Amino acid sequence: MSLLSLGIVRGLIGQLVGTAGGMALTMLIRLMLGLPAWKEEPVWVVGLILGGIGFLIGVGAVSDWFKWMKGIETPLHHGPPADKPAWTRYFGVDYNHKVIGIQYAVTGLVMLIIGGSFAVIFRTELARSGLQFLTANQFNSFLGMHGWAALFGIFISIGGMANYLVPLMLGAEDMAFPRLNAFAYWLNVPAIVMLLGAVYFGWDAGWTVYPPLSTKGPVGFQFLFYAVFFLGMSSILGSLNLLVTIFRMRPPGMSLFRMPIFCWAIVATSLIQLTATQLIGMSFLMLSVERVLGMGFFDPAKGGTPILFQHLFWFYSHPAVYVWVLPGLGIISEILPVFSRKPLFGYRWIALSSVAIALVGFLVWGHHMFVSGYSDYLRVPFMISTMLVAVPTGVKFFSWLGTIWGGKISFPTPMLFVLGAISVFLIGGLSGPILATVPTDLHLHDSYFVVGHFHATIFGGFVFPFFAAIYYWYPKITGRMYDERLGKLHFWIMTPGFWLQSIGQMSVGVMGMRRRIADYDPALGIEPGHILITIAGFAIAFSILLMIYNLFHSADVGELAGANPWRSRSPEWQIPSPVPEHSYASPITVVGEPYDYGLAGSTYIRMAPASAGHD
Amino acid sequence: MPKSSTDKRHFIIVAALIAISTVVLDWLLRTVLPLPVQASLEAMTVDWLIGLHLLLISFLFSLVVVFMLYGLFVFRKRDGDEEDGEHFHGHTTLEIAWTVIPLLLVLVFGFIAMNALADITRSESDEVTVQVTGFQWAWRFDYPEGFSSQELVLPVNRRVRLEMTATDVIHSFWVPEFRVKQDLVPGMTTTLRFTPVEVGEYKVRCAELCGLSHWSMLAPVRVVEEAEYRQWLQEKTAGLDPALVQGESASTE
Repeated sequence: MSLLSLGIVRGLIGQLVGTAGGMALTMLIRLMLGLPAWKEEPVWVVGLILGGIGFLIGVGAVSDWFKWMKGIETPLHHGPPADKPAWTRYFGVDYNHKVIGIQYAVTGLVMLIIGGSFAVIFRTELARSGLQFLTANQFNSFLGMHGWAALFGIFISIGGMANYLVPLMLGAEDMAFPRLNAFAYWLNVPAIVMLLGAVYFGWDAGWTVYPPLSTKGPVGFQFLFYAVFFLGMSSILGSLNLLVTIFRMRPPGMSLFRMPIFCWAIVATSLIQLTATQLIGMSFLMLSVERVLGMGFFDPAKGGTPILFQHLFWFYSHPAVYVWVLPGLGIISEILPVFSRKPLFGYRWIALSSVAIALVGFLVWGHHMFVSGYSDYLRVPFMISTMLVAVPTGVKFFSWLGTIWGGKISFPTPMLFVLGAISVFLIGGLSGPILATVPTDLHLHDSYFVVGHFHATIFGGFVFPFFAAIYYWYPKITGRMYDERLGKLHFWIMTPGFWLQSIGQMSVGVMGMRRRIADYDPALGIEPGHILITIAGFAIAFSILLMIYNLFHSADVGELAGANPWRSRSPEWQIPSPVPEHSYASPITVVGEPYDYGLAGSTYIRMAPASAGHD
Repeated sequence: MPKSSTDKRHFIIVAALIAISTVVLDWLLRTVLPLPVQASLEAMTVDWLIGLHLLLISFLFSLVVVFMLYGLFVFRKRDGDEEDGEHFHGHTTLEIAWTVIPLLLVLVFGFIAMNALADITRSESDEVTVQVTGFQWAWRFDYPEGFSSQELVLPVNRRVRLEMTATDVIHSFWVPEFRVKQDLVPGMTTTLRFTPVEVGEYKVRCAELCGLSHWSMLAPVRVVEEAEYRQWLQEKTAGLDPALVQGESASTE
């Protein structure tokens, strides 16, 4: 089998060719205009754009659409490729949502590990005061890279959960638009290549890339801008696909309020992604154009204002935080009832609270800008709107308590991670209002307290639930059980480690530790805190390696799981593990409530007799 | 140990545990989150508000975690018990209660914070005004008396107004002991007010990532007695052309 038969290899070659072609084209045009051929910024920008397109053509993500334009019909191929080993389908364009889900999830995990590794490196630097082994320049680049690699990891992992689970939970054959689904996934890969290029060329303005800092400096910024642009396009298309799937492909009997609750979380998430992602795409394009063409959107010397960027950036990037946490909160609501053996308490309230968080999330971006110098009168309205987020979030917490109360609770690894998620998200949530309150934010803004708050929110709202989801659906995906002892060990190292890290970060922040500094003043008395944070960081990293080992190892030697090891009522657990190529042998009908644990004789779905066939 | 989920005894035990936990946690948070010296009037207001928040955090954290841990313990699955838990779907009154009470809490906190904000940003008639310029990677302080300084020297117990701008990228003025912060933005002037109340030496630390040496963008801040301040002003203005020295009387008395 030749390497070229792998789609991803063809894609990378396509990206290389596209980039080189774009660069050559720009230089040619410059020569024809009588300019010197080489100018770093414009040459790279055209190369980056054509490189991304080159990847998509090379990998084959647009082949079917090209054929349609020529009037050639293409059947929706299902199943492993005929003339190649089965595993190769994961490295090329495949239209099965389960394959795409795995592609997303594995890519996401890889990016999370890359992002985490950067954190471990500069955390080691920060353990003691004084610059030990990083230069300030490397520190700044690694810092921004940690942010964006981790964010890529989060977005892509969420794509993994949504793609794998939503069609299964709806009893659907696939997503509404399988080709668009594959296209949306493959947009991420050239984006990752560009992002890694960004760290090679360097950029030094953190993940928020505020101008004017980001309109000066190395060409790595352009790599970042287009990486994010491609990732954003993937978000928009993916969320469109998910919304159509959820609204149009539910089985008979599954009203919106009878969907598995995770689907509600995905509705709320997708609404944000579909409507807000354009803003970050636009703001990054504006930065790119300002750098290349000298248009002064954010340059006061040319009539622009740096603050405009912050409005555009946060109008997306604050709701984006809810994109990262809402699916995780959905996972918590999904898994709690199974291990409590009780109905989800206040289903409708939980479902609607997700939508409420998504909507309120659009009105709060200004709390990132309390000290930015925008008009003073904006401070109080943004303070109140931000604090309002606490209301629907509180509904979720209390409803989770109601779900636990009176159950018959067991504690396998996924349940432990769900409970860990609740405790960590609580730390993140409760440290929010003190930042939303303008007077206290005047002290805490841009301090390490914010770093602690933010990481607790993302670990509680995304990382812990994502790990819970991995352990929980692992038997469904692989057909085998993970190692329970290793899973528990992972939990009992990571959770206390994370609490320590959060509290440590908030503590040094209150004492005067600023964000994003390569070195700090030991006179502030924050060195012991930094040593503790670093140790905790290493513990977390080690525990995640345990999980990776567990996932690989158990795929070979784990016990056979059977169809439904958790005794769940959800549709995906009523079919064999691993899920067959065409998930459901026959269409399903919803005949009851999704979480009626404890109601004798009730079921959620009924499968038609196998002979009924598809319509 | 009561078994039924609606047994009143559960709630009495939980309430007692929450009360204890709140007190302990509040003490703990004040210990692990030590605030720097209160060197300005604003620090007192901000710290009071932080204290209020910490109390609320202690209570809400205890409320959720104690309830959760208690529930997990009391309602844990016993060995060999394969039955499901109790079957109930929710409780509308409860849901309304835990929607409306936090909503009211938000409004109360918003109101308190709004007043505190008005207090710490108020202006006074005899403010000491200094022009602050941030650039990569240092600070310059221009006094109305007509001289520039590398250090910010301020008289104690006088309202200070900083008129700030940046020449290259965004910076941020933060003296942790004063508890207030404000960005310096190229192309515009931002204002920060505070009243130092403790004589001493502090540092202004740039709080907005501004490139390579952001971490070392510090400048000394000295808060001195009024008499010493005037003497310092005199030393600084001694060699200056008197025609350039403006507003001395306005800004020192």
